[in-house]
Amino acid sequence: MIATILRRFIAFAIVLLIVGSSLHACSSSGSRKEGYVYFRLNSNPTTLDPALIVDVMGGYLSAKIFNGLVRMDDSLNIVPDIASRWDVSADGTTFIFYLRKHVFFSNKREVTAEDFKYSFERILDPKNKSPNTWVLDKISGTKQFIAGKTDNLPGVQIVDRYILKIKLAKAFSPFLNLLSMTAAYVVPKEEVTRWGDDFSSHPIGTGPFLFKDWKHNSELVLERNDNYFNGKAKIRGLVYRIIPEDLTAVTEFELGNLDVLTIPASEYARYKSSSKWRNYLSSVQGLNIYYLGFNCSKSPFRNMNFRKAVSYALDREKILRTFYENRGRLAEGPVPDILRKWTPPERHTYNPCKAIKIIEKEGFKDTVIHFYVTADQEVVDIAEIIQSYLKKVGLQVTIKQLEWSAYKAAINNGEADMFWMSWWADYPDAENFLFPLFHSSNYGASGNRSRYTNKEVDRLIEMGQGAVSPEMKNCYYMKAERIISEESPWVFFWYKTDLTVRQPALKNYKIYPIYSMDKGLEISY
Amino acid sequence: MKIYVIKKIVLLLPLLLGITLITFTLTKALPGDPVYAMVGERTSPEIIAKIRKEIGADKGIIRQYLGYVSLLARGEMGRSYYTQRKVLDDIKIKFPNTLKLALGAMFIAVPFGILFGFLSAFRINTAVDRVISWVSIIGLSIPVFWSGLILMFFFSLKMKLLPPSGTGGLRYLILPSTTLALPALATLVRITRVSVLDVISLPFVKTARAKGIKEIRIKMVHIMKNALIPIVTVIGLDFGSYLSGAVLTETIFGWDGMGRFAMEGILKRDYPVVMGCIIVSTFAFVMINLLVDIFYYCVDPRIRVHGANR
Repeated sequence: MIATILRRFIAFAIVLLIVGSSLHACSSSGSRKEGYVYFRLNSNPTTLDPALIVDVMGGYLSAKIFNGLVRMDDSLNIVPDIASRWDVSADGTTFIFYLRKHVFFSNKREVTAEDFKYSFERILDPKNKSPNTWVLDKISGTKQFIAGKTDNLPGVQIVDRYILKIKLAKAFSPFLNLLSMTAAYVVPKEEVTRWGDDFSSHPIGTGPFLFKDWKHNSELVLERNDNYFNGKAKIRGLVYRIIPEDLTAVTEFELGNLDVLTIPASEYARYKSSSKWRNYLSSVQGLNIYYLGFNCSKSPFRNMNFRKAVSYALDREKILRTFYENRGRLAEGPVPDILRKWTPPERHTYNPCKAIKIIEKEGFKDTVIHFYVTADQEVVDIAEIIQSYLKKVGLQVTIKQLEWSAYKAAINNGEADMFWMSWWADYPDAENFLFPLFHSSNYGASGNRSRYTNKEVDRLIEMGQGAVSPEMKNCYYMKAERIISEESPWVFFWYKTDLTVRQPALKNYKIYPIYSMDKGLEISY
Repeated sequence: MKIYVIKKIVLLLPLLLGITLITFTLTKALPGDPVYAMVGERTSPEIIAKIRKEIGADKGIIRQYLGYVSLLARGEMGRSYYTQRKVLDDIKIKFPNTLKLALGAMFIAVPFGILFGFLSAFRINTAVDRVISWVSIIGLSIPVFWSGLILMFFFSLKMKLLPPSGTGGLRYLILPSTTLALPALATLVRITRVSVLDVISLPFVKTARAKGIKEIRIKMVHIMKNALIPIVTVIGLDFGSYLSGAVLTETIFGWDGMGRFAMEGILKRDYPVVMGCIIVSTFAFVMINLLVDIFYYCVDPRIRVHGANR
C-alpha cells in the first residue's frame, strides 16, 4: 500500500515538473523583448529623481532619461548637450549658454531656459532636501537663496527663451564638469508638481530613452525616445534586471538572458582565459582610487614618519599582481593617472628594512593598530594580506569587520586607526580627488576621513579651483598632490579597471569611465 | 473554541505593540546613521539637519516611537527613507510573493516529508529506513545557498529547463521553493518518523489490531491522526518563518520577497521598512500559530476536552 502511495507521489511530482517547465515553451531564456538590450543591476535603484540621486547606479540610469546643458565625450572633454554652445567671461565667473531649439521633454513640451532655472532652484531649495546642493552652490546668490532670503536665484538669469546666463560667486575651474552631473539635469516643472514625492517613479526627461516600467527589486525598463534631439538610439530599449547574487547573474549571462555582465572578481580568471568569451571582454580605466586610509588625528598615525613606514612595509605591486590579478593600475598618488596632466609624485616602494628602522626609531614597535573593514570578502582578504605584511615589520594589526552603515559611522567618527576605502569620481577633474578628500573643510564625514589637515594643501587646492588657465590649475594640483603623497595620509593602492563581458551578437558596446557619459546611443545588435 | 480564538486575537494587539517597541529600540541602538547613508558625502550640514528633522531623528526615542505608533493607528507605515515609496505599498507587492514562495515550499515539503517519514517508520531498521534517514540528514546539513546554486547549475545552466532568477509564475517558483523546501522536508521526515514510532508503541494500536481492524486503517487513521500533532507544529513553525521571508533563497534566485526587502532595510538603516516588515511578519506568524492551535483542537479530542474545561 505504502509503495503504491509512493509511486503515485513520484508520478505526481514528475507530472508537476513537466507541466511547470512546459508551460513556457521549454526555454529558460524567459520572455525577452525583441530589440532590447539586457543589463544587470546588483540592487534596486534608490531613486530616479535627479535632485535626490547620490549613487552611481542612479546616475547611470538617469543619464539615459535626462540631459543637462553639457555632457562628457569619450575623451572626458566637455561637449554640448542641450546647450549648443556657450561663452565664458575672461575672469571665468560668467557663463552664457545658448540652448538648442526643438528639444522636447517626453511629455512633448519644449525645453527652455526657464526649465533650467527651475531645475537649478529646485536643487537648491531647502524644501526639497536635495543632498546635491554642493553641485550648484558655486552660483552667485546661492547662500541667500538657501537661507530663504530670496525666492529668485540671482546667479541664474533667463536672457531669453533659449539663452541662460549663470554667474558664479567666484571662478571655479571645474564648474562645467559640475554641470554635466545628474543634479544639473533639466526636469519639467509641471511633471514634478504633478507627481510630487513620486516623481522618482514617473521620471520625465529629454533623454534618448523614456521611462517605461519599474518593478522594484525585479526589473526596470526604458524604451527608445524616437524624438531624441541628438539622433535616436539603434536599439528599441534597455532592460535592467535586478539580480543581487553574482553567480546567478553569471548563469543568466551564460544562458543569454543578459547581454552585458560586469565580471565578478571570482569569475575574472575564467572569462579571461575562456576561448569562448575572451574576445568579448571590455575594460576601461576607472576614475577611482582604492586606498588604505590612516587616521591622522590620533596616535600612532599622527606621526608622519610612522605613516611612511607603513607605506614602505606594503608590497602593493605584488598584491595587485597576485591577489588582485592586475585588475587595476598601481596608484602613484590620489589623482587617477588618466586625470593627471603632470609628472606623478614619487612612489613609496616596498622596503621592509626601511620600515623597520623607522618604526624602531620612532618607538612604535609592537604597536597595536585597529584596522576597520567592511564585511565584503575581497576587502577582508586584502585586510589579512596587509595584516601579515605589517606583522613582518613588528606591528600588531587587529581587524574589525563591520557592515557598511556601522563601518561608515565608525570611520566618520574617527574610531578606526586604519581603514580600507575607495573613492569614485563625481566628475573627471583632479579637483574631485583633492578637495573632498584632503581639504580641511571636508574633515571627517564629508570625505576627508583620514582627518588630514595641511594649510598649504588647502591653499593650493583653492588656488587650483579658482585658476582660469588649465596650466595654472594643473600646477597647483601637482604641488598639492606632491605634498599629500609625501605626507602619506593614505597608502595609495590602485586605480581599479572596470571589466565587462558581452554577448557576441552585441555591437558597438562601449564601457565608460564615468556613469553620465553612457547615453546608450551607439549600442546595437 | 470561539472564546479561545477571540482571546488570541485580542492578545495580538499588545503582542504587536510589544514587538514594535523592542524592534524600534533595538534598531535605534544599532550603530550607523541613516541620514549619512541617504545623502552621500558632500551634503551641506543644513540639509542633513533638515532631513534629520523630517524623519524625526532629532527627537528623543520615546517621542519617535509614539510618532510611529500614531502612524500605525492611522493605518500607515510611513515612507522608505531612500525610495520615498510608501512601505505599505511595497509590502502589498512583496508579501504575496513571499506567500507564494512559502506555499510552494510547503507544497513540496509537507507531502514528501510526511510520506518518507511514515515509510521510514513503518520500515524501521530496513534498508529503506536507513536510506531515508541518511538522505534526510544530508538534506538537513546542506546549506540553502549551496543547494540553491546546485539546483540552478543543473536545472537552469545545464538542462535549460527553468529560469535561474526572477519573480513570476510557476516556472520561476520551482527552483526557489524546492531550495527552501529541502531542509523543511528533511526535518519533517525526522519528526514524522519519531512521532509515528512513538504512537506505534502505544497500547491503543495493539487494541485496534486485536479488534481485527484492517492494517491499512490502523496506519492511515489511528496512527497517522495521533502522530500529526508534532508534525503540524513543525509545519506551522516552518511556514510562519517562511512568511517572514527567506533572505538567502530570495537573494540567490532574485525573488522579490519580504526577506530581501527587510534585509536591505536593515543594512541601510531604513527604519520604516524594517518596522513594517517586522509587524507584518509577526502578524503572519501569530496567525499561522492560531491556525495550528485550531487544528489541534479539531484533531485531538484531548485538547478539545481540556480546552472546554478551561
